[in-house]
Amino acid sequence: MSHKNLTFHRRAVLAGAGALIASPAIVRAQEKKLKIGVLLPRSGFFAQAGQSCHRGALASVKVLADLGYNVELMHIDTESNADVARTQAEKAINEGAHCLVGAFESGHTLAIAQVCEQRQTPLVINVAAAPNITQQGYQYLVRNFPTGGMLVTNGLKLVTELTRSAGVDIKTAAFLHANDTFGTSMRTAVDAIFPKLDMPFKLVESIAYDPKAQDLSVEVTKLRSINPDLLMIVTRAGDAIKLTRDMVRQKFEPKAIISPGSPGLYDEEFFKAVGPYANYFIYNLPWANPKSAMTQALEASFKQTSPDNRFALDCFNAGFTFEALLVAADAFKRAGADDGPTLMKAIKASSIKDHVMTGGPIAFNDKGDNLNITSASVENIALTPTVVYPAEAATAKPVLPMPSWQGRK
Amino acid sequence: MSASPASPGARQTVALALFGLALVAAPFVVDRYILSIILLCLIGAYLGQAWNILMGFCGLLSLGHALYLGLGAYGAAALYVKFGIGPWLGVFVAMALAVAASFVIGWLGFRFRIEGVYFSLLTIAFAESARIGFDNWAWLGGAAGFFLPVRAEDFGQYWNLRGGPFFFYYLALALAAGGLFVSARLRASKLGHAWLAIREDAQAARALGVNVTRARFMALFVSAAMTAVGGVYLAFWGNNIFPGQIFDMAHSIDIMLGPIVGGVGTLFGPIVGSFLLVPLGEALIEALRALGLNAPGAKALVYGFLLMGIIAAAPSGVWPWLARRLRLQDREQ
Repeated sequence: MSHKNLTFHRRAVLAGAGALIASPAIVRAQEKKLKIGVLLPRSGFFAQAGQSCHRGALASVKVLADLGYNVELMHIDTESNADVARTQAEKAINEGAHCLVGAFESGHTLAIAQVCEQRQTPLVINVAAAPNITQQGYQYLVRNFPTGGMLVTNGLKLVTELTRSAGVDIKTAAFLHANDTFGTSMRTAVDAIFPKLDMPFKLVESIAYDPKAQDLSVEVTKLRSINPDLLMIVTRAGDAIKLTRDMVRQKFEPKAIISPGSPGLYDEEFFKAVGPYANYFIYNLPWANPKSAMTQALEASFKQTSPDNRFALDCFNAGFTFEALLVAADAFKRAGADDGPTLMKAIKASSIKDHVMTGGPIAFNDKGDNLNITSASVENIALTPTVVYPAEAATAKPVLPMPSWQGRK
Repeated sequence: MSASPASPGARQTVALALFGLALVAAPFVVDRYILSIILLCLIGAYLGQAWNILMGFCGLLSLGHALYLGLGAYGAAALYVKFGIGPWLGVFVAMALAVAASFVIGWLGFRFRIEGVYFSLLTIAFAESARIGFDNWAWLGGAAGFFLPVRAEDFGQYWNLRGGPFFFYYLALALAAGGLFVSARLRASKLGHAWLAIREDAQAARALGVNVTRARFMALFVSAAMTAVGGVYLAFWGNNIFPGQIFDMAHSIDIMLGPIVGGVGTLFGPIVGSFLLVPLGEALIEALRALGLNAPGAKALVYGFLLMGIIAAAPSGVWPWLARRLRLQDREQ
């Protein structure tokens, strides 16, 4: 053994000593598991979306473990009920949850937020769009999901970029939306944001419809009389089916049908009901970036944990649920502690470059919002949601103008 | 006439006092989870009491009590957030709003003789109209909800209903106790007897000189005002209001389920019903989890069957049955 090998430099000794001092906390964090209560509406009114998020949570376990994160998930059903969400949040913390993730719906999320605030337990929101959630003054929550305003702004901007990149000339547009809570709030946002964005086309008409109506023939007749180049829609799966059937029946064929941000067009129910007519609908939403290695890992795990479901259809809810868990796990690893205040401080300091959903690094502003989330244009191609814009996330070119209903197979 | 120590009335008083004492002591004994369940029971008992005045005492079936809840919540919260007017004053405005709405419903119902199930449909229609209206009222946040600020510096401003879980627990307890007291006093009053007469046979009551329309209006007003107070509580407790939730039909059903199961028209039915249903739901979650049957929806299924079982076993409600078994009353109360 040469003498040289035994020479200790001061810097090395200092670094070693520093590591030694810091190591107990890090080692403890490695040994200890972060217990995360995952509160989702797996039954009741929001069950479909809650189940989709749940499948994401199930798939997350392996991916997080492979990334070196030590987490244990407690799966809790909020039953689409704010009171249940509140009591179950209390129970989860009683049973040792260090952090909560959830809860898909804004009202339920706020019921949980109140408990978390009182008990100084971090809440990482996976899905909830009400803008005020992060503006009320809660200190123990962050949201890795766009607000309704961000969703519409990004969605409208993408309409312009996508149609321009595809060389489709759009001069007029009509906006058709369900008159339920979500559709109405989207209409309000579109009315407020559209004039500010200097859009290259004119919004000639906004039409509200009752999603419980037997058919949408009257609305489609009206659309035919307007004959817009672009139809923007905000639907749910059930009414998207009725709308498609009436558009096919009346041969209403605009150059493009694009949603500035709504569900319904990527549900299995929609694909099964209208078959090839589901193709070429476009929706602008934050989406799992198919070119991200982490998305690919999540998809592989998803296939194992939920073999009967398609990741392509679940990736919106599943992706955001995974990322919420990732935020908590990453903070725990960095903080080396699981107490609420320390964990929350680490969560707020997050800067996660590699993740699943489209957009920049996961980071939170003073209010607790991640403003780096962006949307992608997703088109149904061969009955599969496919990212077609922007180029850095796209796996196919957009099919625009939309092919005729006739002759589709 | 005072009750003898062994009489059902005396036993009932002792049981009520013990129950009250247990509720007062609960925050010092049970954990936060159990306390949150008891708090829900108390709110349910209070709102059930309000609904019971209309249906149980006066025989008017309201399926849209969420209307008054929502108006109360929005009224007081809007005054607080938009104009800085505290809830102790706002609660009177909330009650006035609910009473005004109930007056319109009552006027339509009684003026045009809309009775029975049609009156119930009218109450649903108003609640649904309010939901749609508030969904589109941008000044109050519309469908995206209305939010009260949650600031650390406001904590402890009890006059603004800014307090912690203990504060809201005792407030709920006070509401439930107050609701019981008001119901008991009203039921024992001349007006209460008029309500009971109308409930049994409106025509006969009218023939006996009871001003049926006036008495019904009074029941509507009292019930609406009490429910609005509950709405104020919910707004300041939860710090947010969404039209889709507060005016939801499911909310109206939740309000009436307690008194129906506990015993419609009885004083203690709403309390017994609420203290039975809320813990039952929570216990089922635990039981199914322990049995490994925590599939989504399983609880709702079992809960439904149990509810049917309870109603089949005690069709007049659990309280009359329980009171008989424990010899807590000598007449229906």
